Amino acid sequence: MSTIVQIPPPRARLALLPIDQTRGLQAVWALISTESMLFMCMFGAYYYLGNNKDRWAIEKAPDLIYPFVLLAILLSSSVVLHWGEIQVHKERFGAARAALWFTVLLGLIFLVMQGFEYASEWKNLTPDTDSYGSIFYTITTLHAAHVIVGVMILMYVGVQPRYGFARRTPHMPYQVASRYWHFVDAVWIFIVSLLYVIPNIQVHLHGR
Amino acid sequence: MAETATAVQDRLTELWETPKSLYGWFATVDHKELGIRYIVTAFVFLIAGGIEALIMRIQLSQPNLAVLSPETYDQLFTMHGVTMIFWYASPILSGFAIFLIPLMIGARDMAFPRLNAFTYWTFLFSGIFLYISPLFREAPHAGWFAYVPYTLTAYSPGVGMDFYALALIFLTISTTGAALNFLITILRLRAPGMAISRMPLFLYSTLTASFDVIFSLPALSAACIFLELDRHWGTHFFKVPGGGSTFLWQQLFWFFGHPWVYVVFLPATGMISLIIPVFSRRPIVGYAYIAIATVLTGVVGFAVWLHHMFTVGMSDIAMGIFSAGSMTISIFTTMQVFAWLATVWKGRPVATTSMYYALSSVILLVVGGLSGVFTGVIPADWQVHNTYYVVAHIHYVLIGGNLFPVFAALYYWFPKMSGRMLNEKVGKISFWTMFIGFNVGFFPMHILGLIGMPRRIFTYAAGLGFGGWNMVVTIGSFVLGIGILITFLNILFSLTLGRAAGPNPWNADGLEWLTDSPPKAYAFEHIPLVSSRHPLWDDSDKLGDPENDRILDNGRLTVTTTWLDAEPVGIATIPEESLLPLAMSIVMFGLFVALAFRSMWAVLAMLILIFVSGCIWMWPRTEKEVA
Repeated sequence: MSTIVQIPPPRARLALLPIDQTRGLQAVWALISTESMLFMCMFGAYYYLGNNKDRWAIEKAPDLIYPFVLLAILLSSSVVLHWGEIQVHKERFGAARAALWFTVLLGLIFLVMQGFEYASEWKNLTPDTDSYGSIFYTITTLHAAHVIVGVMILMYVGVQPRYGFARRTPHMPYQVASRYWHFVDAVWIFIVSLLYVIPNIQVHLHGR
Repeated sequence: MAETATAVQDRLTELWETPKSLYGWFATVDHKELGIRYIVTAFVFLIAGGIEALIMRIQLSQPNLAVLSPETYDQLFTMHGVTMIFWYASPILSGFAIFLIPLMIGARDMAFPRLNAFTYWTFLFSGIFLYISPLFREAPHAGWFAYVPYTLTAYSPGVGMDFYALALIFLTISTTGAALNFLITILRLRAPGMAISRMPLFLYSTLTASFDVIFSLPALSAACIFLELDRHWGTHFFKVPGGGSTFLWQQLFWFFGHPWVYVVFLPATGMISLIIPVFSRRPIVGYAYIAIATVLTGVVGFAVWLHHMFTVGMSDIAMGIFSAGSMTISIFTTMQVFAWLATVWKGRPVATTSMYYALSSVILLVVGGLSGVFTGVIPADWQVHNTYYVVAHIHYVLIGGNLFPVFAALYYWFPKMSGRMLNEKVGKISFWTMFIGFNVGFFPMHILGLIGMPRRIFTYAAGLGFGGWNMVVTIGSFVLGIGILITFLNILFSLTLGRAAGPNPWNADGLEWLTDSPPKAYAFEHIPLVSSRHPLWDDSDKLGDPENDRILDNGRLTVTTTWLDAEPVGIATIPEESLLPLAMSIVMFGLFVALAFRSMWAVLAMLILIFVSGCIWMWPRTEKEVA
């Protein structure tokens, strides 16, 4: 016989409960989980392809200046967006909207800068050079695609009016979009560490 | 109360009912409607995959037949595998879950009803997309796991493999969306009082399978993206001369592939865990152990994938660890099997068709599990790898672990879905035909494998001793097909001729049996309160709802609760029907067609359309619309 767990049934008045606004945020966490696994598979592929080579990157470790500038841009954009989120909770919607559009601007600058970075890398390395080029460009382009999606989501939230749900809980779309944006930033931290810093440390330790 | 119950029911009906029009048919977000559509669509894919299998069996029935050309044979076994594994086995379980889970947890719909509609349409369109390729006489032809380098353009120049890779990415979107929906629905929409220790076991298995989908499916997407890039965009992921690795495909594919086995198997065990106790007239033995075993299967399932690759050449230590991991899984499955047996042993079993299917699936599962233990032992695996022994194993596991439980579930829940009972006599005839046909058809494959018949050959020479057994296999598979057909005819006739079911024909314990058969659009007039694992056996809600607190009739509303103790914390608003999920799925279909033909302007246009439809979908509704 199964034991019956002795928790008394709840007696809350259901009709007085608030409107639930947390499911969307929880779904975003699930989305972030599955997207993180996509990037983990890509990083796994990066090391799997490199595991029988003497050095990874084979020819020349990628330049370090661009990724750190890009990292600075993304991290500051996250700070700005987080500040904006605090403003929404304080119901200062003008400031929040400004922070959001400033984040969009930083995101666009990131994309342009990454274009310059690609232009400089492209001289030595293209996706069809070898497997290193393939995985390097696939990971960074996949990330750039996520930045583009993030920017589009932010712009969409930036033009949303405040009525209906958005008036009752104006922070929800903002919060959802900013979770996604923080995730995109966090991925770039991993990319900088694994794809840029570690190959340069290897060069430093073992020489060319 | 001044208001009569009928007035409340009328108001709820008006709120929840989908308009009975063409618009309503395309725009519905009702989980009951969508769940049934999932099931019907998955059965259509089962029939398609089954016909492909039977054509192959005709070709193999005698040595040196030439019914099919080798090329057609390759395409048929690939389409058979891909259809069955991706477009039947998982969606059929999703279909049952979508229909049943909101009813089982006392909610009025899924957590994201429009996402639910979207995942149905993308599932349907991805299947249609896959079946476009045979029209070009270029179906995928490299088996369901599509090993490189055979699938690269050098050896597979046609569009078949592009359709394979893109259709799988497309389906991944649908499957991930459905998993996410299950996750939030099960964790947040359970009726007040249905603490996690009181959930029906089917919810544990669906929850575990959804976690597995979320964490394993990206590996398949990554592999398919790499494959497309290698085929048409000049990269070198799998091309050895460019520094790539052919094993990368295998690693990624099986990292996804083995958890997928549990995605198509665990929810089916959850169904057995609900059906066996009801027909044994007692609560399940070892509820907590089954729940733990289910979750552990899902977790350890991530650490066994190398056992598909024992023959590629790896370090002994890696193979040893993964062999041990594979053995560990059998412990968890055995725990469940013994709990089921103990339930029957301690109970007073009732011989219904559903119970026949459930118990037989336990038997078949044990046979398939034991042959799995053999293939988990490395030297034995080297011997039987790529032979019919493995074909026998996968079919015992998937038919015993998916098809038979699904038929048990069909006979068990069909009354709830349609309001009519399936004919028991015809059901038992169908069962015996299927059971005998299956065993006659698939058991000899073990022997064929051991005497050396490789899988995926389109014919074999006479005098090898394969002919007789292959004839038996062919006969058995046709008998199995006839058995399945009998049940489908049973469904067709019972829809009009079946006995009316009433709300609880089996005297079962779950909340879904509290609703009418078929359930009303709003399912529950009062959101139920739960205080035990068997709400209908223990009269959980005997006080009822005298103050009408749990009607929630001022909008499309249901209750959200905390994920552990199911304390009510909020009211969830459920969106009304919409054409946007369908529109977005159509645009996605266009996107994948454009990708298949690499027309980049069309791709861009489709991406913009997806963004636009997403924007309209998510646009905040006015307070009047929200109510």
